[in-house]
Amino acid sequence: MADQTARGEDFEKKAEKKLAGWGIFGSKYDDAADLFDKAANCFKLGKNWDKAGSVYIKLANCHLKSDSKHEAASAYVDAANCYKKISVQDAAQSLNQAVNLFLEIGRLNMAARYCKELGEIYEQEQNLEKAMDYFERAADLFQSEEVTTSANQCKQKVAQFAAQLEQYPKAIEIYEVIARHSINNALLKYGVKGILLNAGICQLCKADVVAISNALERYQELDPTFSGTREFKLLSELAEAMDEGDIAKFTNALQEYDSMTRLDPWKTTLLLRVKNAIKAKEEEEDDLT
Amino acid sequence: MSEVFDGYERQYCEISASLSRKCTSAAQLDGEKKKQKVSEIKSGLDEAENLIRKMDLEARSLQPSIKAGLLAKLREYKSDLNNLKSELKRITTPNPNQAAREELLESGMADTLAFSADQRGRLLMSTERLNQSTERIKDSRRTILETEELGVSILQDLHQQRQSLLHAHGTLHGVDDNIGKSRKILTAMTRRMDRNKWIIGGIIIALILAILVILYFKLAH
Repeated sequence: MADQTARGEDFEKKAEKKLAGWGIFGSKYDDAADLFDKAANCFKLGKNWDKAGSVYIKLANCHLKSDSKHEAASAYVDAANCYKKISVQDAAQSLNQAVNLFLEIGRLNMAARYCKELGEIYEQEQNLEKAMDYFERAADLFQSEEVTTSANQCKQKVAQFAAQLEQYPKAIEIYEVIARHSINNALLKYGVKGILLNAGICQLCKADVVAISNALERYQELDPTFSGTREFKLLSELAEAMDEGDIAKFTNALQEYDSMTRLDPWKTTLLLRVKNAIKAKEEEEDDLT
Repeated sequence: MSEVFDGYERQYCEISASLSRKCTSAAQLDGEKKKQKVSEIKSGLDEAENLIRKMDLEARSLQPSIKAGLLAKLREYKSDLNNLKSELKRITTPNPNQAAREELLESGMADTLAFSADQRGRLLMSTERLNQSTERIKDSRRTILETEELGVSILQDLHQQRQSLLHAHGTLHGVDDNIGKSRKILTAMTRRMDRNKWIIGGIIIALILAILVILYFKLAH
């Protein structure tokens, strides 16, 4: 693989020479771009991600000078892919530039897709705020392109992060909008109960008992089949347990549901918060009495 | 746990051995001594019955694999105890007819006792089987729910792909229109090129003719 690196460096030097000198018919940018492309390819084959990334960025600059923004944006995306394997920050940066270029050209679809990718990168880094930001942008872009499924998926992620960051009203709103939209669609209506369960858990975290019962009624109206599902049973039992402050009942209901289908980590975190809140309220009452 | 059971078992074996000895010795005695022995035997029998009951409870609280074997042993001991009881009855009733009648009825009761013990065993087994089938049904329900979740996610993917396909379809229509337009432009260009060629050809011929005419006039003078 070392010879690939050598070939790559060779191409890079040739390209730089072309840029530095005067080209005939002003085609120097195209030739240089071509050579840069070959160089980056060689570096990728030699698994030299750092150099490959930097060459792709140079390639993008060339394309920008020759006014082909689309090519430049693609080059930035390739650079980001290379950097993903080493440093996440650089990847995020390149993707950001790519997204801006796509927005300028008007290819909102691709911009949205890369926004989503950026959001996923930040999610991996556990930087939930930024991730939420990017997912919101992606959702808006997808919505403007009428690609509602991807928009809904991004919005779901936004709601997830919002709930983790304790922005419950926002999360609840998003989930309800998604649920209302999915009911009309024949393919998506089977997923509605999962969404309503998430919304219900967020309501529980808000700890407003009246709102919870109102919400449960609303969900039943929204989806006629919801009242028969185990999710609804779980939610009503949890609401009752919270009302009475009975932790044993709460835990029992959860165990019953978990024995059938595992609860994923997000739900577990939120439900743990609710449980602690109930415990705290119980201790408060004990202190008062 | 089964050590307790073994302990009870050993105690029972001892008691039953001593009881059978006492029975045979009491059969040879008479009157007061016989009554004494009989009462001893009766108390021994009660103790033995107690032990059997304890063994029964122990056996039921153990695991099903050991349970079956222990319950079988227990049934043997119960029948053994019933034999001792019938022996006792035979001893206490000196009248042979009476004794024979008692023995017949005893054996009937022993049979019913054994029968009920058997029935209990069978009921227990059916309860076991019901429990097992409940477990299996719960497992299958779990699998169904997982499959349903999988199905839901597949449907979501399909929905997304449907939208991408529709989008691509629209884009392709656009491409189709653009290709039609470019074809028209190209044909227009070729026509213009031909026209220009003819015009240039015509001009060249006119120029040549003009040159020939001038030369002719020059040479003719």
